[in-house]
Amino acid sequence: MTCSEVERVLPELLADAPDGALPEKFEAHVKFCPACSDLISDLKLISAEARQLAASEEPAPRVWVRISAQLRSEGLIHDPESAPAQPVLAPASTPPRWRWSALWLAPVAAAILAAGSYVISHKPAPPVAKQQTPATQATAPAAVTAAVTPAPAPARAPQQLAQKSAKPESVKSARVARPAVEPAPSAEDQQFLSAVSTFTPAMRTTYELQLQAVNADIRETQAYVDRNPGDMDARQHLMDAYQLKALLYQIALDRIQ
Amino acid sequence: MASFPYVSFRQASLRQVGVVALVLATWLVSAAFAETQKEYSFTVGPNANISVDTQYGAISVRPGSSIQVVVTATLKSDKVEVDRQQNGNRIQIESHLLPGANEQTGQVDYEVLIPPDATLSVHSSTGPLSAERLQGHLTLEGPDAMVNVRNVENGHVHVRTMRGPITVTDVRNAYVEIASIGGDVHLKSVTGPVVQANSGSGKIFYDGDFGSGGDYRLTTHTGDIEALVPADVSADFSAHSVLGRVQNDFPLQPKQDSRFSVEAGRSFVGTVGKAASKVVLRSFSGRIRLKQR
Repeated sequence: MTCSEVERVLPELLADAPDGALPEKFEAHVKFCPACSDLISDLKLISAEARQLAASEEPAPRVWVRISAQLRSEGLIHDPESAPAQPVLAPASTPPRWRWSALWLAPVAAAILAAGSYVISHKPAPPVAKQQTPATQATAPAAVTAAVTPAPAPARAPQQLAQKSAKPESVKSARVARPAVEPAPSAEDQQFLSAVSTFTPAMRTTYELQLQAVNADIRETQAYVDRNPGDMDARQHLMDAYQLKALLYQIALDRIQ
Repeated sequence: MASFPYVSFRQASLRQVGVVALVLATWLVSAAFAETQKEYSFTVGPNANISVDTQYGAISVRPGSSIQVVVTATLKSDKVEVDRQQNGNRIQIESHLLPGANEQTGQVDYEVLIPPDATLSVHSSTGPLSAERLQGHLTLEGPDAMVNVRNVENGHVHVRTMRGPITVTDVRNAYVEIASIGGDVHLKSVTGPVVQANSGSGKIFYDGDFGSGGDYRLTTHTGDIEALVPADVSADFSAHSVLGRVQNDFPLQPKQDSRFSVEAGRSFVGTVGKAASKVVLRSFSGRIRLKQR
């Protein structure tokens, strides 16, 4: 008897002989064939374990239907006349060992699905949402919290600056218009953007937006100072804005180091 | 029916495969995200200098023994390690990410007990960061970290964030310096010889009496500033928003400020009480409000 003959009929034999007793001619081959011996041991173990499964763990019929359809679409099974609704492995034209290894793709796929689900469910919140959460949770004094605008302050993207038009009309008219189009980044900013390009996409976007916001503040203040060169307070704000930009550079640098 | 046992066997095998898959998936997930806790102790002398740096995770620091530093590190997976070094009185704790680590698997949460007078520096990108009941020089930094400092006396308190909100509570006689690009800053009962807070787009809230003899400067670019103070405050106020509005609940004693011409609705200057502390509130386009408690 050959290995392929053993493998072809082995499942049926095990199913017919749950106690594991095999016909003599099989025993003779298995005794001198380690591969078949291992295979039989594995099958016996699986078969025994499978019998231990409680009825409650029986999947719904639709599960078998879907598996059957999937295996059929992959050409691994065909429709036997006697059992149309149950999955049956393709006959011996395909090597049995290959069929078993194909079946082991299932646990690997399940593991990947499980790990993927875990990763997706633990995916960090987008930058803006992330900012809002701690701001809301911050233990602000109750009196102060009640007195201020209730909405937490999210990280300000340049496009959000337009929403600050909630200020009084006189203030709006006094404000220096910010350019609709971002000017080309300076050489330093190019270096900064190049450095943060190694960060994760979300973090990179955060740094880019913060840089745009800080630059917008600087441009706005600079434009005001140009028109009001004697305003020492505005000059101080310009210096503060540059300091915040320096802080942004430093924070990014700390992260790179 | 010849094929029935065969099919039955296959069903059983598939069930078995399902069970194995679940076990394998559970094992993979638990192996990948296995949490371990490690504790390190260091003996130090007076004026110890302690630094804790992690890319991802919380750092919480409290006072402990005056001669010992105890660090409890909770590692979220085996994708991260804790490096530690002691050189005399200087202790350095650092998370070390291994290949493949991300924000979840690279997270290490630290709980640190230090001598109350030690100099402390902590850094975490994600935070949160907290320090309480300490008296030394404290530096807390984190781009997105929520920072919380409370019950601190003397020494220096330096906090820097990019977007993380900052809360400082019950700080007495300390040199306080806070900077954030976009995070809100909350100061409650914070007094000292110098208290400075600067935020670009974040708001600044101050709730306290500005102490006595201190120099306070709260500055924003677009964020609002709000100070809630008691009626018996003793301070010399100067507030100005270049493009925003100001509002004041106090009857101030008039005073000249040479830096800018006082413009109704945009600025106010004046004193309350004996003007023990100097308070400067500045914003480029944010609103400034001085409220009486």
